[in-house]
Amino acid sequence: MNDQWTDRLSEYLDGELDAQERGALEAHLSGCAECRATLAELRQVVARAKGLEDRPPKTDLWPGVAERIGSGKVVNLPAHRARRFSFSVPQLIAASIALVLLSGGGAWLAVQRWNVTDRRPTGTLAVTSASWTGHTDAAIADLQDVLTRNESRLDTATVRVVRANLAVIDRAIAEARGALAGDPSNTYLNLHLADTMRRKLELLRRINAIAAARS
Amino acid sequence: MLTILTAVLVSLAPLQGQTDTTFAVPAGASLSVNNFGGAIVVHGWNQNRVKVHAEHGSRGRIEVSLVGSTVMVKASSRQGAPSVVDFDITVPQAMALTLAGTYAEITVDGMQGPISAETVEGAIEVRGGSGIITLHSIQGTVTLADATGRIDVNSVNEEIKLSNVSGQIKAETTNGDVTLTGVKSASVEAATINGSVVYEGTITDGGTYVFNSHNGDMIVSIPEGANVTVSIATANGDIDPSFPLPLTATHGKRRYTFKLGSGSARMEVESFQGDIKLRRPEEIRDRLQHKNKNNNHNEHDDSFDFHFDSNGVGAAWVRDYAATYAREYAPKYAPLYARRYARAYARAYSH
Repeated sequence: MNDQWTDRLSEYLDGELDAQERGALEAHLSGCAECRATLAELRQVVARAKGLEDRPPKTDLWPGVAERIGSGKVVNLPAHRARRFSFSVPQLIAASIALVLLSGGGAWLAVQRWNVTDRRPTGTLAVTSASWTGHTDAAIADLQDVLTRNESRLDTATVRVVRANLAVIDRAIAEARGALAGDPSNTYLNLHLADTMRRKLELLRRINAIAAARS
Repeated sequence: MLTILTAVLVSLAPLQGQTDTTFAVPAGASLSVNNFGGAIVVHGWNQNRVKVHAEHGSRGRIEVSLVGSTVMVKASSRQGAPSVVDFDITVPQAMALTLAGTYAEITVDGMQGPISAETVEGAIEVRGGSGIITLHSIQGTVTLADATGRIDVNSVNEEIKLSNVSGQIKAETTNGDVTLTGVKSASVEAATINGSVVYEGTITDGGTYVFNSHNGDMIVSIPEGANVTVSIATANGDIDPSFPLPLTATHGKRRYTFKLGSGSARMEVESFQGDIKLRRPEEIRDRLQHKNKNNNHNEHDDSFDFHFDSNGVGAAWVRDYAATYAREYAPKYAPLYARRYARAYARAYSH
């Protein structure tokens, strides 16, 4: 892994390198399988992020903003030049996991305290399941508690089916966790675990909504 | 209008257990049906009229009203538990549909507009439709054919089948297979936890294709001449292509990326436990035809294994299969079919 170029891959992907840098990086890519693979992972992250459902925020901030605009206060902002953000590979993967979980709805707890400013050594995929699953587990546990309280509103056959399917997902989560324990920096396994947990969140949310509608 | 419609329907229910009415609807009207248990069948026709036929028990009550531009059809009971009602409704082909049931099977045929169908227990089968098409069932197979638009199909405990569909496609189940054939799309997402994913369709330049399973094989077609960058990953399965792969990058264990043509489309194929089988479209079509022919005799799906050994099929195998799966499937199918047959017989003998 060539750290010099790994650091620039996200800028390359965003089209932010100048022509000379881009040419040099492409020349490097033609001879470095590992950088090509990393670039492919970054592209996957971007593609997944683009594919996520666009959900409206629960809280509409506009009334507050409009009110302040209407108050007529003028605030002088310090002059600043345009800032450019770039992220390391682990940070992008972390962000991708966060987005996958967020798309499940109700999983904001999982990423509430996500530390995206934590710069880890580049070139090492330092995102591990231990660093993010705790809050997701808590969100799942909350929804499961709600389901336990709601089960009496559902048909027993439906409850049985839901439980069986939650068990299927739990087995998948356990297997993904087991694989991650042996290969904690594996991007696929991290994303697969995140996606499987998202599926569980979505199922719990959906069943709870059905039960609530019958109250 | 609401009062008129409701009044007309009440007076048009002279036969015990059956309601029939037909009325004109304004252009652009939509239909909303809510049925606790039974069936919702909707057909499209080229008239600006809605025809509602409902079969129900003596306690059953059918309410039809027009709220805004929406025709609302609702089943309820005069007393006690909700009545089981079988609806057969014919509507203008372009009418938007919102169909909801709890223990209801939903069938739609010959429509050309948006369709939303949701049920807890019961299959959903739709042919036709365009625009936003959303089909959700918890415990029922979901089938969609000959549709185009933004398609979102979801089941939990059964399989999903899409054929001859185009547009933006998302299909997801937990415990069942996802089969997509004859797809024309630049955006396809198909996933299951416990089941296989089959994709036979186009790969459009610049498109995105994501196929994912935890415990099942992925059988994905890649046409010759496709311009696609393919990322494949499996933790415990095998990679099984029927054509040579130009593997350009390998990252970590069992992860591969390769580019075909310009590589402008992106495809991800991932299965934790299952094999990843890359095939040409005609291979998948042939195998699906073969599978369909044999489906009545043998549900064991080895049809994508190119070294399928049929010697084991016979009395001994059937005996082993029954011994293995009877215990597993009995609890699943007994409640499903007991309810269905009880409903049919109750209706037949209640008159």
